[in-house]
Amino acid sequence: MASLSSSDKDRRINVSINRLIAQHINPSANFTNEEVQARQKWYAEQIKAAFDEKPSSALAPDINHASDLIKRKLVQTNPGQALRFSNLYSRLLALPVLNQKWGILYLLNQLADSPDPLEDDPDAYEEYIAEERAERRQKLDRGDRHATPDVSKLGANVIPPNIEDEFQPSSLRNAVPAPRQPPREEQMADETDPESMADSSAAAASNPREQQSRPQTRDIFIKSQLLSNNYTPSDPSEPTLLRDLPYTLQGLSSATLPFGKNYTLDLPRSLPTPLISILNTLAEPSLLYRTLEDFVKTPDKGLLNQSLRAAISNELRAYLTLVATLEGQIRTALASIDDNAPRNGIGKAGVTLKRCVVWTREATMGLRLMSVIAEESKRKKGGQLISLIHAFSSSHGDPIVGAFAERLLTPVTRPFYDILRHWVYDGELSDPFREFFVHENTEEEMPKNKAGSSNVWEDKYRVVKEMIPSIITEEFAMKIFLIGKSLNFIHHSCGDAAWVESYSKESSKELRYGDTATLETWIDDAYKTTMRRLLHLMTSKFHVFEHIGALKSYILLGQGDFIALLMESLAANLDRPAGAQYRHTLTAQLEHAIRGSNAQYDNPEVLRRLDARMLQLSHGDIGWDCFTLEYKIDAPCDVIVSDWGNRQYLKVFNFLWRIKRVEFALGAVWRKVTTGSRGVLHTKHTVVQQAWKTTQGVMAEMVHFVGQLQYYILFEVIEASWTELQAKLRQEDITLDDMIEAHTKYLNSITHKGLLGARRRRFAGSESQEDENSYMIQLGELLRTMLSYCECVDGLYSWSVSDFMQRQESDLISTSNVTQRRRGGGGQEEEIPGGPTSEFPVLQERLKHLGDRFRSKLQLLLGDLAYQADVDLRFLGVSMNFNDIYQPVRRKAKGTPAAPSAAAEKDRGGNGGGVEKSTKA
Amino acid sequence: MPPAPGTHESEKQAAAQQAVDILHEISTILNCHLDRRTLSCCISMIENGVNPEALAAVVQFLRKEAQKEKFRAQDAERDARAG
Repeated sequence: MASLSSSDKDRRINVSINRLIAQHINPSANFTNEEVQARQKWYAEQIKAAFDEKPSSALAPDINHASDLIKRKLVQTNPGQALRFSNLYSRLLALPVLNQKWGILYLLNQLADSPDPLEDDPDAYEEYIAEERAERRQKLDRGDRHATPDVSKLGANVIPPNIEDEFQPSSLRNAVPAPRQPPREEQMADETDPESMADSSAAAASNPREQQSRPQTRDIFIKSQLLSNNYTPSDPSEPTLLRDLPYTLQGLSSATLPFGKNYTLDLPRSLPTPLISILNTLAEPSLLYRTLEDFVKTPDKGLLNQSLRAAISNELRAYLTLVATLEGQIRTALASIDDNAPRNGIGKAGVTLKRCVVWTREATMGLRLMSVIAEESKRKKGGQLISLIHAFSSSHGDPIVGAFAERLLTPVTRPFYDILRHWVYDGELSDPFREFFVHENTEEEMPKNKAGSSNVWEDKYRVVKEMIPSIITEEFAMKIFLIGKSLNFIHHSCGDAAWVESYSKESSKELRYGDTATLETWIDDAYKTTMRRLLHLMTSKFHVFEHIGALKSYILLGQGDFIALLMESLAANLDRPAGAQYRHTLTAQLEHAIRGSNAQYDNPEVLRRLDARMLQLSHGDIGWDCFTLEYKIDAPCDVIVSDWGNRQYLKVFNFLWRIKRVEFALGAVWRKVTTGSRGVLHTKHTVVQQAWKTTQGVMAEMVHFVGQLQYYILFEVIEASWTELQAKLRQEDITLDDMIEAHTKYLNSITHKGLLGARRRRFAGSESQEDENSYMIQLGELLRTMLSYCECVDGLYSWSVSDFMQRQESDLISTSNVTQRRRGGGGQEEEIPGGPTSEFPVLQERLKHLGDRFRSKLQLLLGDLAYQADVDLRFLGVSMNFNDIYQPVRRKAKGTPAAPSAAAEKDRGGNGGGVEKSTKA
Repeated sequence: MPPAPGTHESEKQAAAQQAVDILHEISTILNCHLDRRTLSCCISMIENGVNPEALAAVVQFLRKEAQKEKFRAQDAERDARAG
């Protein structure tokens, strides 16, 4: 082309100009040929002037500059087309024909996004209006001074050459709208053409829409430009990492991100720090997933732990679904990646490592929580596990964590509720791994009592407090425990399996986590039903109340006629040594006593259980010491009357039996003496008379004492407690536990008030151990003294009888020898009754000794009783000493009982000195 | 352009055609609103040493003129109808 002459060039350009004009300006129909030609000529002149103003640049332009400009513009506005442009551009470069390719591209770039010529251009319209106005003004000014009629005919159509200044806005130099240009270009244009600066700014002001959009686009453009300029490709590249990421998230090793030992992830060292930190964030879910997957695979004993694993593996599945979605996103994004774009065009593809971090964030939270639970669960089991998760759901501040834990709780607690259901509706503990809060005691764990037997109700099951999950309260747990225990008891101990079965069929419900209120009402219903049934069984089938009544009347000596008869018939037998007691005689006597008393009308079921036997005998015991009555309690009822209860009953019985025996002995002797005093006991010896008188006085005291004691124990203690017990047992909603408790309290109050267990308070601090059964010991001594006294009185009676016989004999002899006899008799009166070999003095001495002892002991007892805390016990003291005949003695210190002389005592008693007074003196 | 043998000429023609095709496509991508004929005009002008910047200005100028022409014609029509 260089060879072409300049004229040839001009010609070609002229031709092209004309073609261009012809194409753009369609001549209107109402113009004549000349007019059109004139216009075209004017246009051509304008164009040529423009070309001349900017001659072709001499320097060799950079061909790539224009294409870069275009590419940048496309990447920013229309990334999809950028690829297409680069293809086209490379094809264009390959073509041999064009020399000024850059020029054309530059032109196209300049014209890019130009307004559609077919649509109305507001700028052009404004200019048109302005021209019209100018035209009219000119018309007015100049009148007919138009250059040519042709031109005047054309009117506004013709632009006069001298008004170039007026339509400067539309001048060719500024025709290209500035906003479309990249800032650099604009500045260049401004520099080359300083005079147009004001105009261009005016144009910008006239178009506010464009002005608004301009800075924005510029900002983004610059930022993305900076980003892409500063982007240094990493090794491995981000797409590679993205491609491998799904595998990593699934816990699988990949080429770029291999997993190391012990849950570690090896990150490539070649990566820059920001990428490493992103990858570190992404490594968390991956590693957690691996840990949890391994955790799920580990076998574990324990239903709840298994269900926890199941629940976690379910959650992991959901996580894998997420990873799968993520992988799909990554795939599509990677497919659309353009290798030539900056950062491989990854920013445009929509999926980046950062975005993956955001997408996996919530899942990471879940995984983190699960891994915490999994870690904790290794040390916990059963209810503790539920408590652990429940703590997360109820008290964790983050609502997401709370909701997640709540979701986890439903599947995890399923086995627990299954166990609960079995327990509450079937009374069976189907808990192979001991995860429930109720444990069945094994043989070894069974707390053995002294007798070696165990209590089904109390000891078969126990509540393990730390296993109670926090979803139920402790009170509620105790209720549940009681229900199951009762059902189990009904089934196994009461032999009412049929009822349990039908009950469980009727009312068994699916229990599940969530609706606590419903669950509670169900449990309450079950509780009521079970308790009612159990109570019904205990009363109607097993006659618990009758048994307790029978125990009172036989063991606690309530049935007076029976006991009296039994004692009478057994008395002779029991006086013999313990070794000579035979069971058959005892049972025969028992049978006799039953037949002979009102007991025969009692329930045969009750009588069948009554048994007489000997306690373990020790050397020197006589029958009295060893004899005992027994009331056999069997299976279900022994829950209430336990072994301990039985022992208490026996204790009370033995005590009462001893009192009864003393009373019996006293009665026998008193009878003898009273009948004897009318005949055989008449004597002329004043000493003997005196002895009998005091003896009878002491005996009366003893009878009074025993009577008061018996009255106190039987009426004040036993009957009062019995009334209390009855009131409790008749309550509406009594449970078996309440019954047991009431009965225990009943026995306790009997043993305590009945002097068996009461302690003296005075030296409780120093000598509590010795004082343990102080009253028991005191009473025992008193009773022994009384027995010895009875024996002594018996001896005295025998002596009196033999003395009487001797006197009768001597009277018979004296009828023949009266005078001698009288003298001898008179002398005898002065001496020891019954002659020098007589036993009388010894007996008298012994009686006096025993009587004194009884008195002193009794005074001690009264002294202790007077300071008892218990009102009933104090009252016993008062009733024994109602006329203040005794002086109660307070022991100053142990072992130094101050026994005041009888005379002094009597004097004081006569003075009516009160208890307080005497002790103070 | 120097006269060339027939085959060579036709090859050149095809190449030119191709160039116009490609450039037209680019212009479409860039929303230049240039038709093929205008484009080939422009190409030939630039090949003949016209400053592309000036040419761009010319194209814009002509477009604007065409618009003005159009408005004028519309006004005239309206006037005629009113008259």
